[in-house]
Amino acid sequence: MGASTPAVEVRDLAKTFRSGWLRRRETEALRGANLRVERGAIFGLLGPNGAGKTTLLSILATLLLPDRGTATILGHDVVREAFAIRRRLNMASGNASFVWSLRPAEVLSFYGRLYGLHGRALRSRVGELVERFELLPHLKTEYNELSTGLKQRLALAKALLNEPEVLFLDEPTLGLDPDVSIRIRGQIAELRRERGTTIILTTHYMREAEELCDRIAFIKGGRILAEGSADDLKRQIRIGDVIALRLEPAAPFGLAALPGMMQVQARGDRVECTVDSSEKRLPELLRWLADHGVLVRDCQVHEPELEEVFVELAR
Amino acid sequence: MSSRAEPLPAVPSRGEGWAEEWVRLTAFAYRNLIMARRNVFFLFELTFWPGVAMISHGLLTRFLDLTPPMTAFILVGTIALSAVQVCQLDVAYAVLFDIWSKSMKHQFLTPVRIHHLALGSWLVGVGRGVIVWGLMALIGSRAFGFDFVGAGAPRVAMFLLGCFMTALVIGLLVCALVLLFGTRAETSAWAAVNFFVMLSGIYYPVSVLPGWAQTLSAGIPLTYFLDGIRAGYGFPSAYAHPFAIGFALSLLYVVLAHWALAAAVTRSRRTGLLLKVSE
Repeated sequence: MGASTPAVEVRDLAKTFRSGWLRRRETEALRGANLRVERGAIFGLLGPNGAGKTTLLSILATLLLPDRGTATILGHDVVREAFAIRRRLNMASGNASFVWSLRPAEVLSFYGRLYGLHGRALRSRVGELVERFELLPHLKTEYNELSTGLKQRLALAKALLNEPEVLFLDEPTLGLDPDVSIRIRGQIAELRRERGTTIILTTHYMREAEELCDRIAFIKGGRILAEGSADDLKRQIRIGDVIALRLEPAAPFGLAALPGMMQVQARGDRVECTVDSSEKRLPELLRWLADHGVLVRDCQVHEPELEEVFVELAR
Repeated sequence: MSSRAEPLPAVPSRGEGWAEEWVRLTAFAYRNLIMARRNVFFLFELTFWPGVAMISHGLLTRFLDLTPPMTAFILVGTIALSAVQVCQLDVAYAVLFDIWSKSMKHQFLTPVRIHHLALGSWLVGVGRGVIVWGLMALIGSRAFGFDFVGAGAPRVAMFLLGCFMTALVIGLLVCALVLLFGTRAETSAWAAVNFFVMLSGIYYPVSVLPGWAQTLSAGIPLTYFLDGIRAGYGFPSAYAHPFAIGFALSLLYVVLAHWALAAAVTRSRRTGLLLKVSE
């Protein structure tokens, strides 16, 4: 029962921050965001700085109250049922921070207790997470003496204390060395694979989003501008695939009129054709060139990166 | 997957065992104890300032050549101030540790309630308050002949409990102020302790205060606890049942301060301050 209830559902969510006493300043962080995340998915939220990603995540994590709209986690309202739903979610941020004098196992024990864990269950959970995130050699180190990577691993370990069904990760690999980032990404993927945890993450790293996320939403100015898989997004904004050819003789007239052709740029014997789908258009293009007696000396296909989608949407 | 949302059973939020309640409550005690053990300044709070206060006030009573009951009158006030200060600090630490380390959001991500946070840290505060009382009583009796149980053990116990309840109220209000105004509120919140203590007749009878101040002091529980223990040293009581009034007022203020902190948490979730003071 309840398997068809989405992990997260957001409708018309709005939030404005107000600051200043004499000069009142208002910042609209969210302006009617809508979102649906299915259970067991890894969902990415992309967008430029100040787009509203962290605000959206914070509302979903019950840390912030929205001004308008509704948000549900596993069918439960994040405002009215915040206390109850906190048992089933957790969050980790890229720039996590904990009390400076506590050691890793103490941090985990403190938050574990807040989740109601005690006795043998608490000890075994803390032990398991210490082992899983390779914190064992650092058990005597106080938090403020841990490296950034270790702090990040501890933050992730803390986020798994209650075995959350929904996990929010705000820039989980921010500022980490590439090798640590790869390991953390591996652990995120493993979480979904092993436990079916629904993960919603924000990131600035397009490769991370493309590697991990089933679906991605692009948010800007507090609105979700586009949503879909990485391939869907590329198609939606019609950046197109580029087919670069070296021809002999040069490209004949009429190439631009071919179906699916978005742009043609010719320079000498080289021509770059931007098409809606290289998979679909390349055979047609080669056939057409052969029919016109043109020899293809070289052919390269370049599919757009998610980064290009980001740049296009952030414009 | 289907897009139709089926209603889920309510997430169980009530009916949790007492064990879980106790564990959540003691989580804050666990953290405060670790911090107290690991930071040398916590030892200062416990020994240096209370010791200095007791010795300097004791010397003052010597200089003024006060009688033993008058010495007790003054030194009881000295003990009250230190016990309230140390205990309220522990309650405030429940929020201040997270403010200082910018980790506030983590505890409010968990299913923790205000009473867990308040009572857990208060327990450590009570323990540290008792140590402070013991130390001050020892210095007072050895150096200045102060009979710290001269008012009778039950009165001393009620007086200390009263001090700790006052500390709980002040600590909760400090937490609420910090969550409402951020770190700017820290200093003013601590200053407030001295203001309340001043109005409650810390080293003098409330009758020497101006009329308007006496009206204010009538609303402060510590006024009644100081009056109650001083009655045990032979000073006439201004109230028929000072401890009963003091405890009734304390209970009322604990409820109000609890509500104020809960409201401050909700407001900080609305304004976004909870996030600003986190990471």
